[in-house]
Amino acid sequence: MPHLDLNNKQLVFKIVYFGPGMSGKTTNLLFIHKKIFDKYKGDMIILDTEEERTLFFDFFPVSLGSVQGFSLKIHLYTIPGQVYYEASRKIILEGADGVVFVADSNVEKLEDNLDMYKRMMVNLDSFGVNLDTFPIVLQYNKRDFDEIIPLGEIERTLKLPEDLIVTESVATSGKGVMKTLQLISKEVIKNFQMD
Amino acid sequence: MSELPVTDGTINETLSELVEKTEALTALLISRHGICLGQAGGGAKLNATALAALVAGMFSATKEVANIVGEEQFSILLQQGEKRHIHISLIGEKSMMVIVFEDYSRIGRVRFAAKKMGPKLIRLLTKDKKDQKDAIQDISIPDFKEYALNLIDRIFVIGEDDDATS
Repeated sequence: MPHLDLNNKQLVFKIVYFGPGMSGKTTNLLFIHKKIFDKYKGDMIILDTEEERTLFFDFFPVSLGSVQGFSLKIHLYTIPGQVYYEASRKIILEGADGVVFVADSNVEKLEDNLDMYKRMMVNLDSFGVNLDTFPIVLQYNKRDFDEIIPLGEIERTLKLPEDLIVTESVATSGKGVMKTLQLISKEVIKNFQMD
Repeated sequence: MSELPVTDGTINETLSELVEKTEALTALLISRHGICLGQAGGGAKLNATALAALVAGMFSATKEVANIVGEEQFSILLQQGEKRHIHISLIGEKSMMVIVFEDYSRIGRVRFAAKKMGPKLIRLLTKDKKDQKDAIQDISIPDFKEYALNLIDRIFVIGEDDDATS
């Protein structure tokens, strides 16, 4: 459920980019931040280590405009992908209205993708979200690699729903990035209800 | 985008009172999920949106630290700088109050005011929750969705080179 702030008359949705380490989550956000006009976006925060691995999270807010008197905002977050940051991941994922799972298409990373997807579902389940309706977009990133995981492999192995939205991307060049963002944002809005 | 929302809500009035009493630069109320719920005092020229996201993350991480040392959570965090200091305290279970101040000798006053204002802010947050339910009745969900989807199309523009399969 989005956050409704009556004091400032704003409605804030949270979208989290989840996935294994080095799959391209920060690269997605950097491209989006570059692509969106200044008047719609706030500063980007990147908390990384000296090796440019995300330490805690990356974040920036987008102001879409005013709808029925409410300022509509989307906060975009990434999580740290390394296995040992489980606690951080859980903290950032909590309160999310939708998730982009950024999978690394490198065939050698299949197990990492599967493991992280399972961890994500366990965390979402622990927050009490309805996994049948929770908006998720599965993004196969790094499609420019030579040996890539075939589309459908992750869904088949994990027995994911057939109607799961899947995209392909090369985040370093921006291909597929805005399309993924548009799809997850729309799913989040379509799923919106206050209860 | 505006980083310092100025509104007349009672949460903001309470924070204003706190700023006045402690001579702090700024006081903010933020949700555990990193959203700024109220702010008073513009002396520090802060990016409130970014600060809220970072402090929420920091507080959650500290909760994990507390668990490791056998505490459920730490209710107060104090960051001491050379010129500016931050006092963060839990307000109920889902919010935090952040007070940014300069003169460290005022720490006692800041702590006292934060403790005193806590219950009032909890009451206001509870009232806010009820008001939210009323306010949401005024939103037409189908119209809201249609307009929001249009905004997404307009702002998250898909370029001609966006096809990753080409």
